[in-house]
Amino acid sequence: MRVLIVEDDPALQASVAALLRDAGYAVDVSSDGTEGLYFGEEYPVDLAVIDLGLPGLSGLELIRKLRGSERQFPILILTARADWQDKVAGLEAGADDYLTKPFHPEELKARVGALLRRAAGHAQPEVTLGPLRIDLATQRVAMAGEEVELTTFEYKVIEYLALHPDQVVTKTTLSEHIYEEDADRDSNVIEVFIGRLRKKLDPQGTIQPIETLRGRGYRLNQRALEGGSGGA
Amino acid sequence: MRNPVPESNPEPAAEPVPESIPASAAPRRRPASLRLRLTLLASLTLVISLGAVGMALDAAYQRSAVVSLQQQMDTWAYSLMAAMEVDPDGTIRLGVAPADPVLLQPGSGVYALIQGPRDAWQSASALGIDIPAVRAESAGQTAFETPAEGPYFQRRFGLDWTLSNNEVEPITVAILADRERLASALASFRTGLWQSLGAATLLLALAQLLFSAISLRPLEQVARDVADVEAGRADRLAGPYPRELEPLTRNVDHLLAAEQANRIRYRDALDSLAHSLKTPLAVLKANPDADPARLQALEDMQLLIATRLERAAAGTRRALAVPLPIQPVVERIAASLRKVHSQQLRKLECMVEPGLAFFGEERDLMELVGNLLDNACKYGDGQVRLEAHSLAGGARPGLKLVVGNNGQFVALEGLVRRGLRGDERIAEGHGLGLNIVAEIASAYGGRLTFGRSPLGGAEVALIIPAGHLTKGNEV
Repeated sequence: MRVLIVEDDPALQASVAALLRDAGYAVDVSSDGTEGLYFGEEYPVDLAVIDLGLPGLSGLELIRKLRGSERQFPILILTARADWQDKVAGLEAGADDYLTKPFHPEELKARVGALLRRAAGHAQPEVTLGPLRIDLATQRVAMAGEEVELTTFEYKVIEYLALHPDQVVTKTTLSEHIYEEDADRDSNVIEVFIGRLRKKLDPQGTIQPIETLRGRGYRLNQRALEGGSGGA
Repeated sequence: MRNPVPESNPEPAAEPVPESIPASAAPRRRPASLRLRLTLLASLTLVISLGAVGMALDAAYQRSAVVSLQQQMDTWAYSLMAAMEVDPDGTIRLGVAPADPVLLQPGSGVYALIQGPRDAWQSASALGIDIPAVRAESAGQTAFETPAEGPYFQRRFGLDWTLSNNEVEPITVAILADRERLASALASFRTGLWQSLGAATLLLALAQLLFSAISLRPLEQVARDVADVEAGRADRLAGPYPRELEPLTRNVDHLLAAEQANRIRYRDALDSLAHSLKTPLAVLKANPDADPARLQALEDMQLLIATRLERAAAGTRRALAVPLPIQPVVERIAASLRKVHSQQLRKLECMVEPGLAFFGEERDLMELVGNLLDNACKYGDGQVRLEAHSLAGGARPGLKLVVGNNGQFVALEGLVRRGLRGDERIAEGHGLGLNIVAEIASAYGGRLTFGRSPLGGAEVALIIPAGHLTKGNEV
């Protein structure tokens, strides 16, 4: 999942970015509203964390412009002012939640996770597809009750696919959502991750949860998984 | 989660608040109203002046009546002197009967007496009347006596009457007039006089009331304009006012403008302070390697900033705030919270009495409603209910705001500490929001009460009494 952070305080920006990277998110950062708008409109952002007090374009204006350009990803407001006037103004402008500075790192992670889940239509911090169970909060993946050890990037890939089940996801999309903008991307690496995931999730090859659609991308096959659940 | 503030870092004790009002500032009796003063003084002046005028007129009339009677008595005496004859034997008789019937009608009240050494003559009017003896006057002497000196007004003339035998007979001609003759005229005059003076007093009193009403009208206008400012219908005194009142109204307007400017400046300073403190605090808190003691200290700082700044901001409230419709504010916050808590919130019901207004800052109302509703949403089980209605009381009715949920019942009383000291333990979440609400409520002279909601969970009632004054208006 790719998160955009728009925060003008360099120390807080770095701190929040490090926190979210540690949590497994691909993070893009911006220090002013104008650049933040560009990133938000041009990059495949899954969630934005926006400070209200930004130089250039204010946080409120940024949110309005993003919503005006049909960007529907969740937006979490960061504000130093605990006023409800600011919170309500931000939420009315199009934000989905707010967090008042200073905040607990865990609270920030929880809010980001909750907003991403909500955007994907999941109320609980857990995605269950047949025998596949992903705990989005702890980033643990289990297959038929057996925990599966995954690397950070493998987790990012299966999480994205699980939040978009039965949807065709291109390698580019996967790459964009699990890598930051300035990362050195290699589409072959995605193939490697997919291969490893198949081996780890379905070592016998009986369920085949991840389909390859030649020339189009990958799809997490919900029907196959739920059928596999019956057989497991 | 509760975040205790370490006792090693105690908050400095709050400044002592005097428990009693100094003797010099003891409440004094309110001076009498201007209208009452004017009415009393004018009435007193009117009664004294018209009383004095009445008495002067009465005395003048009395003097004039006596002089007039004296002249009349002289006329009667002269006519008798012209008609009288004294025989050589001293017998007194009148050659011609008196022309004035008052001397002929018995008991008429006017009696004539001609008295010589050997004879005396009385007018017919004195028949059957016990006329007192008349003192003899020597020739050429006259006298006039009032009833103070005897029962009658008495006019006497002393004559030396030369008889036909050339003897000289000393004669005294006296006219006596009953005091009643003057008293009835005087009584009639007095009745007329005091009736006229009474009517004049009434008219003048009414005129005085009218004058005082006209004179006090600008003051009443100022009072109405101040009431408009107080009720929030105006933000300054409208005017124009008479020259005498202008210094007062100008100063009040300056005071209002200065209060507003100070409030804005103070609030801006507090906002800047909050912003400049909270961002570095966020950086420190976001550091995953921070040790628990340090994190605890940061929590304490956060709590102090949130509550102390809120308390300080309470001092920036307008002394005379405009009435703010509550319904739109509640709807805005409810819409925002439905969005934030969309996953767990099934029903957020807001029932606000139509036309209900909050006499204070919009920011404060949003903090009150926002924190109470947000807490109820966070700790409820999907159902939250807000009710707001007015508490009776004049131009500035009070407000009762009740927020409850269907969550697990929690005794919230313990989370609010009166005065909120730094060494007291405040729970985060419920506690912080509730303490902010308690601070604001206290600034408006209000209070919080806690109970169980009909929905099953906790309920918080905020009560701001009627005619509340903000801190800025406290003396």
